[in-house]
Amino acid sequence: MGTRFELLVQDEEPGRFRAAAEAAIEEIDACHRRLTRFEPNGLIGHLRRSSAAVPLDSDTWALFQDAVSVWRDSGGAFDLTAPTGHMESILLDPTTRTIRLADRALPLDFGAIAKGHALDLAARVLRDAGVTSAFLHGGTSSAFGLGAPPESPGWDVALGPEAGAPVITLCNTALSVSAVWPGNPHPTIDPRSATLVQGPRRVAVVGPSARLADAWSTAILVLGQRPPALGPEWRVVIPQFPGPGH
Amino acid sequence: MSNRREFLISTMAGAVLLPELELAGARRLAEPRAVGLIGVGRQGRQIIQELQQIEGARVAALCDTSPSRLASALERAPGAEGFTDYQALLDRRKDVESVIVATPTHLHRRIVEDCLQAGRHVYCEAPLAHTLEDARGIAAAAQTAEAGKRVFHAGFQGRSNPVYQLARDFFRSGSVRDLVSLYAQYHRKTSWRFPAAEPGTAQAANWRLDPAVTLGLAGEIGAQQFDVFTWYRGRMPISVSGRGAIRLHADGRTVPDTIHTTLTWGDGVSLDYEATLANSFGGQYEVFHGTNAAIKLAWSHGWMFKEADAPTQGWEVYATRQQFHTDEGIILIADATKLAAQGALKQGVGLPYSSLYYALGDFLKSVTEGTPVACSAADGFRATALGILANEAVVNSSRVEIPAGL
Repeated sequence: MGTRFELLVQDEEPGRFRAAAEAAIEEIDACHRRLTRFEPNGLIGHLRRSSAAVPLDSDTWALFQDAVSVWRDSGGAFDLTAPTGHMESILLDPTTRTIRLADRALPLDFGAIAKGHALDLAARVLRDAGVTSAFLHGGTSSAFGLGAPPESPGWDVALGPEAGAPVITLCNTALSVSAVWPGNPHPTIDPRSATLVQGPRRVAVVGPSARLADAWSTAILVLGQRPPALGPEWRVVIPQFPGPGH
Repeated sequence: MSNRREFLISTMAGAVLLPELELAGARRLAEPRAVGLIGVGRQGRQIIQELQQIEGARVAALCDTSPSRLASALERAPGAEGFTDYQALLDRRKDVESVIVATPTHLHRRIVEDCLQAGRHVYCEAPLAHTLEDARGIAAAAQTAEAGKRVFHAGFQGRSNPVYQLARDFFRSGSVRDLVSLYAQYHRKTSWRFPAAEPGTAQAANWRLDPAVTLGLAGEIGAQQFDVFTWYRGRMPISVSGRGAIRLHADGRTVPDTIHTTLTWGDGVSLDYEATLANSFGGQYEVFHGTNAAIKLAWSHGWMFKEADAPTQGWEVYATRQQFHTDEGIILIADATKLAAQGALKQGVGLPYSSLYYALGDFLKSVTEGTPVACSAADGFRATALGILANEAVVNSSRVEIPAGL
């Protein structure tokens, strides 16, 4: 995913959760290899080469389900085929849990959802191994607080380096931040119009799933406001942009 | 594979690296097949993912003694039936003719023998077993089964890897000329510990660290890499020496996290092998140093490094190159003929699938089309024996002679 992931695992006895943390990192790594555009042995390469419908494991199936729901509920502001806006060309068959691309040259890109997906899977690995308190983040833009640190209601995350930046407390919740600003080397494209999203603008989304938070933070960055379809379990913060140099 | 004469003519024409290499593309089975998998730990889950990429292969049954591992694997394989007892799988799913065994190494023998006894085709993960006796038992059962038209495929993956096959043709046609030395390594920074699926199963889950059953780094990892050298050279080494230490993971284990072994062949050529769980630099690769060139193989990629005084072959002019500090490697590209014809040679850099994918694909191809297996019971036995003897050398810090008839 072209970024650094970090895991902080609370452990009463040193080394007890090392294997769990390694397994979680391995899960993130496997997720990256599966979803990146740059890995020939990944899902995108396989979909491009495959003439038949491709069966998906339950996690990847859930990833596509979530992507479709955010695409639909955001009116196309989130799209796995951005910048072309051809999400409808991804054909999912729930009876066989398979996927097929109507156009095999479709520019599929999981960049706006993969980090969150990886965090959800990694958190599950930790939970399954008995970890009850951990903080995980990918590139500081997606984060998940598993449980809470000792004697604290949750993991505090400041939404920016400046003094007075809003602080979000995560306890079994995820946070995703998306931003555009002039001169950003990774501009965000509005898939509905294939135009660049104008900044500066920052969006933070907090809720129960890192995968959905990741997708929604991109969608809301494009929309510029909280969409009516977003459920009450989600919190959206649109902090003022301090601008570069702060 | 074309004969050597055709190969030379083609390469002199300058357009191709190797004709007729059809293996880099996706594998498709001539007819759909139901596949069963026994053992769905980390390797088993990887196998599920690879099988799902083989057109015509259907993961129909999964078996594991751990209910939670089984449940998590079933999530990954839509439509598969779960079993906690492999005998039940064999009894109830007669449609599952092909079975892959990916349990811990020391549990392979009985399962493989029972699967073959029940008339199934078997792919057994490498190494085949943790003792010579068990490895012999598996090989004997497999040879009986082979006589009865059943397929047994040992999971030494280099033999199925298109880049390794391509490089082997170069090697065997004398591209590196006289061998100087051999080197291989496996470097990773990891504890080699696995979280227990259920409470009280930590020891079973960490069988790799149990000196009673593990083959250590030499046998569990090294054997795969040693096999590349014996397969290329077409003969076994005559001795192996080794030593090991714990350089990082002083967590009560006795199995070394860092090992060195030296395998020596009758002609004096030796392979220095280093494996560690304490440093990841360079990862996993194998190198053949020859008087005309070196070949470096890194599972998804391969390169040839020519000496300045080595003759230039026509195809090299068109080859894709990569700089490594002061060395320039010619990238070995599988399926180069087709790619060159499409002007897409650069897209062939790096294999589109993993070695495991090609190995499983070869197994199922042998099942459906009757093609010879890429790694037979005899090949698998020799490769396993080498891993066992290398581990013995590491554990005792000794030199072990390799019996001639092995």
